[in-house]
Amino acid sequence: MEKKRVEKKRVEKKLESEHQKVAKADETDWAAAKAHYENLKSKKPRPPKPKNAVTIAVSSRTLFDMVKERKIFEEEGLEKYVEYQQEHENEPLQPGSAFPFVRALMTVNERLRTLYPDSEELFDIVLMTNNHAQVGVRLMNSINHYDLTIERFCMTGGQSPIGYLKAYMTNLYLSKDTKKVQEAIEEGIAAAIMYMPDMSMELSQTQLRVAFDGDAVLFSDESEIIVKQHGLDTFFEHEKQHENLPLAQGPLKCFLEALGKLQKKIYAKNERLDCPIRTFLVTARSAASSGARVLKTLRSWGLEIDEALFLAGAPKGPLLQKIRPHIFFDDQMFHIEGAKEMGTISAHVPYGIGQKYNKGKLIEQPEKQQK
Amino acid sequence: MKALLSKSLRGKEVTAHSRSSAVHAVNQRLVSHNSSESLGFEVILIANECSEETKVKIVESVKHYGMEICKFYFCKKDEVIKTLQSNNVKLFLSTDSDDIYKALHAVMKLKLTYDISTGVVCLHVLLSLDVPAAVLYDQNGVLDQLKVTFSGDIIGLSEDSLDSLADFGFSESQIKTFKSAKICIKEFAVLIGEIRRRFGHENSPLCTCLITAWGSRNVCLSALKILGEWGLDVDEAFCMAGAPCSPILAVVKPHILWDGGLHNLRDLPNFEL
Repeated sequence: MEKKRVEKKRVEKKLESEHQKVAKADETDWAAAKAHYENLKSKKPRPPKPKNAVTIAVSSRTLFDMVKERKIFEEEGLEKYVEYQQEHENEPLQPGSAFPFVRALMTVNERLRTLYPDSEELFDIVLMTNNHAQVGVRLMNSINHYDLTIERFCMTGGQSPIGYLKAYMTNLYLSKDTKKVQEAIEEGIAAAIMYMPDMSMELSQTQLRVAFDGDAVLFSDESEIIVKQHGLDTFFEHEKQHENLPLAQGPLKCFLEALGKLQKKIYAKNERLDCPIRTFLVTARSAASSGARVLKTLRSWGLEIDEALFLAGAPKGPLLQKIRPHIFFDDQMFHIEGAKEMGTISAHVPYGIGQKYNKGKLIEQPEKQQK
Repeated sequence: MKALLSKSLRGKEVTAHSRSSAVHAVNQRLVSHNSSESLGFEVILIANECSEETKVKIVESVKHYGMEICKFYFCKKDEVIKTLQSNNVKLFLSTDSDDIYKALHAVMKLKLTYDISTGVVCLHVLLSLDVPAAVLYDQNGVLDQLKVTFSGDIIGLSEDSLDSLADFGFSESQIKTFKSAKICIKEFAVLIGEIRRRFGHENSPLCTCLITAWGSRNVCLSALKILGEWGLDVDEAFCMAGAPCSPILAVVKPHILWDGGLHNLRDLPNFEL
């Protein structure tokens, strides 16, 4: 028994020292990267240290328009798809739904770098795709063409990228694949499915504008459940009674928090009126009966939102058209459809009870197949 | 192609089971595609001089685990390199730092790390000029797919960039080591590329990865292109730009990791953070 304990202690000590060596190796990598970027002839900015940065992972199909290529993959198979991409590797791809959002993130980074030249608290964009590295050549050439500051890549060659999201310390993951986004949300990572709008809209070049739905996006779906199962009147009563009880947090609360942290840095430099980040709450709640709880919850979290719009059930599309956000997060597909039709880049958050309903009616779910 | 597995000095057996199985899986698939296939992995076990009892124990263990080992060599430490050369070995894997360090005539760096959370033991070994470096992973990874990983930094950096590393604290001999590492990995990469081409993109028993730890995306891009020119189409690519590599390696779980000696420099200067 004693021998085993002694042996265990020896192994533990060895493990600890090896762990320290790994940490040292990581620090060395970081220092070498810093040195490498400073040495580059171009004025390319150095990517921030991941643990201090707000990391946004985008998939290849959200960053670029790959509809044609996707069709080849679905109709002719993987080999033909990779061949096609290799043949066209010097042709840059067209921008996708997340492209304006990424550009806006780069603009914010530039402002933050002027205000805080040595800070690592910036946006970091990672390309996270399960494409093969050979397709990656075309993706990287396209990134070079548009001169995007994306230095970190993860091309998993067919494996699911979910395992890598945590390894890259991702704060937000954008993809076109429902399954991957759902898996990410289950792992506790903010994620959404991007949709290209039906018509294009001119967006701000100097300010990042992000719009969020309230229930089941920033907050949990607890109130949503009451509406769906017991109706609006019960919902109003419930909200009034629990006005001072903060709602539980939803999948995108942490992302709003990250945006808020960067906003505070800008306010600290007296630039509040010219802040390059603006956040919006666009909710179907009404201000009088159920709005107070929302605002009080945000206050209890120490979070600020720049503009809160209570629609009391009115359609969101026209209002979003006026706001012109670079991205709009909502959990319900019919709001996403409405926003899309009127030109807003929308991102569906597949979380909560809203997934089982369409326009207030329960969707007939097929029997789950036993594998 | 011959890969040499070495047994550590202290008599602890390297659990090469998963690696050997993965190699075996590659060989089986190659032959199933083409019965007159000339390419394939041949695994040789090399161990230090030991008693007859230990020799028998080793052979029995190998049989017990069903490892496909063609030859066994028990020799003195000084003879290791002669054995490598006489067998035309293309890849030498080992967990014994001293053994390898003394055995090679080129500058050698070594590090042993154990990642607690994933139970991975890796040894980075640099063999310059003769045989390419490799990392040995002892893990419960996928047994039917051999994962080989290369460093994008060494392959992707041009001659000028490698030279300019001198400004950042790397010594002359270290830079020379990187340059020669790049040359010596070529032969191995070409062979791996040939084997990889025998399989399609899906369900391949051999998977190749490229990890660029601190180079920019253009370094990663040029590494992909250079490997492509050498005939190796990489499956997975990761560009870290300074972000920590260890979480990624924990997910990738390569059987063999070649980093050109980057992480094993004994006299690595302390960068200012």
